[in-house]
Amino acid sequence: MTKKILAYIQEDLLNGSETIAAEDDLLTSGLLDSMAVMKLITFVEEEFKTAIPPEDMTIEHFMSVETIQAYLQSRNA
Amino acid sequence: MHQLANLLVASGVKRGDRVGVFLNRCLDTATAIYGIMNAGALYVPIDPNAPAERVEFLIQHCTIRCLISNDMQHKKLQKLQEKNILPEVLIGAKVEEHKRDYTWEEVAQMPKTNPNINTSERDLAYILFTSGSTGKPKGIMHSHYSGLSYAKLTANLYQLQADDVFGNHAPIFFDISTLGYFTAPYVGATTIIASDAHIMMPASLSNLIAQEKISVWYSVPLALIQMLQKGAINQRDWSSLRWLLYAGEPFPVKHLRALMQEVPQASVSNIYGPTETNQCTYYNLPAIPKSDEPISIGQVWRNTEMLILDENEEEVVEGEVGELLIRSATMMEGYWRDPERTKKSLYKVVQDSGLVRTFYRTGDLVREDAENQLQFLGRKDRQIKTRGFRVELDEVEVAIITHEAVNEAAVWATTAEDDTTIICAVATLHTNLSKADLIVYLKSKLPVYTIPQQLALVEDLPRTATGKIDRNRLKKISLSI
Repeated sequence: MTKKILAYIQEDLLNGSETIAAEDDLLTSGLLDSMAVMKLITFVEEEFKTAIPPEDMTIEHFMSVETIQAYLQSRNA
Repeated sequence: MHQLANLLVASGVKRGDRVGVFLNRCLDTATAIYGIMNAGALYVPIDPNAPAERVEFLIQHCTIRCLISNDMQHKKLQKLQEKNILPEVLIGAKVEEHKRDYTWEEVAQMPKTNPNINTSERDLAYILFTSGSTGKPKGIMHSHYSGLSYAKLTANLYQLQADDVFGNHAPIFFDISTLGYFTAPYVGATTIIASDAHIMMPASLSNLIAQEKISVWYSVPLALIQMLQKGAINQRDWSSLRWLLYAGEPFPVKHLRALMQEVPQASVSNIYGPTETNQCTYYNLPAIPKSDEPISIGQVWRNTEMLILDENEEEVVEGEVGELLIRSATMMEGYWRDPERTKKSLYKVVQDSGLVRTFYRTGDLVREDAENQLQFLGRKDRQIKTRGFRVELDEVEVAIITHEAVNEAAVWATTAEDDTTIICAVATLHTNLSKADLIVYLKSKLPVYTIPQQLALVEDLPRTATGKIDRNRLKKISLSI
C-alpha cells in the first residue's frame, strides 16, 4: 500500500522530480499543492476501492503516506 | 517586532530598503511584516513554492540584501544557497556555508526598544509581485498611507471590532491578506492564520473556523466552495461567522447560494479590486440570490472615485460598457523600477486649477446598471484569474516557447465543468518531448498556479486566413490530458 501511494506521488504528482519517504510531510512542506492533494485523495479512493467521507479528509489523516496508510487500515479494521 | 527591527537596523537595513519574506502561512509572517516596517524598510513577500529562477529574479530586481524565513524552509533555503542566490543576511534559519545568518532565538535577544526610524506615511510599506505580460513579474508598490487607508476603510465598511476573529486564508504575497494583517491589528482584533495544511484539507479548514470561532472570513471563492463540497460543514458549528468576504474572481452563483443557505446568519460581501488599488468596490448581498445572474461588484467605497471610459477615452453614456478607472486612497505608488509601465497604467485628468487627478486603468470592463451597481464583464486584455491568482496567458505562452523542443504554443483559458477557470495549452514540436518533461520544465520557470491544467502536443495549430494561430477555433477544441 505504502509503495503504491509513494510511487503515485513521485511519478504522477511530482513527475519524477523528487524522491520522498513515507513519513515526509506532504502538506506543509510545499511538496504538493492543493490540486495535487485532491488528485491524491481520488487516487487513494480508486486504487483501494473505498469512498473517503469529507469529514475524514483532514490534516491528521493525510499528513504523510504513513498517516494515510494508518487511516486506511483503521477503516478496514 | 522591535527586536527584529533592531536586528535589521544593525544589519545595515535603511529606510526604503527592501527586505524579502520567504515564509509560508505561519505566525512568523506577522513578526516579519511589522518588524520590517518598524525598521523603515518595506516587505517583499517571496513565495517559497516559486521556482528558484523567480526567487533569484525578485532578490536581484529588488536588490534584497536581507531575507527573513524560518526552519520550515530549511531545505529550500539550502538549495538556494547552493545556487548562490541567497542575499547577504538571512534571518530565522541557519544554512550551511552562509556567513550572516541568525536564528529567531538570536532575534529575541535584541533590544526591545523601538528603533524610532523616521518614516512618513508616503513611504513605501510593501511590494506585491504579480505575473507580467512581458514574461517578467511586476512589482506593485504600496505606501503606509495605502495600507492604513485600507484598514480604516474596511473597518468602517464592515464595522469590524476588537472582539472579531479574522480568518486569514491568503498567503502574504496576495493582497487579500491585508485584511488579516492590517485591519485586524488596526481594530485590535485577532487574526487566525490558516496553515498551508489547512488550505489543502477543507474539513480541517472548516473545523478551524468552528474551533477558533472566526467571525470574519475573507478568501477567494474557491476556498469556500471546497469547504462547501468537502468540508463537512453540516457537522461544523459556524454560528460565530458574521461576515463572509470574497474577492479574486466571480463566485459561481449556485455555490454561493448553497453556502448562504448553510450560514444564514452571515452577511456576504463581493469585493473587487486589482492589486494596484487593493479593494475599491463592494457589494453586500441583500439576500440569497434567486437567479444565476453574475453577482454585481457593487459600487466604489469611500475615499474613491471612478471613471468608465470607452475606447476613445471618453466617459461612456450611463449603462454602456467601458473600462473601469479608479482613483483612491488605497492606490499603488507605481510599479517597482518600471516608470514606463507605471505611466501607461495611469490616466491623468488635469483640472483648471492645474491640479492633477490620477486614475489607475484597471483593464476590466464594467457596466453600471440603473441602481448604480457595477457589473463585471471580464478583462480587456489576456490577463485571467485562476483559483484566485492572476495569470497573464502570454507569460505562460512565452515560457512554453522557450523550451528548445517547442516550435509554437498557444495558451488560453476555459471554464471547466465545475465553473472554475483552467488554463489550456497546445504546442507543436521540432523534436521529441514528452508532456511530463514539458511540465517539469514549466514548473522550473513559472509559479505552479500558472501551469496549464490541460496540455496537448499536436502536429499543427489551427490557422486563420492570414496564417495567424486561430485562437477562437482553439478554444472550441477540448483537450484530453
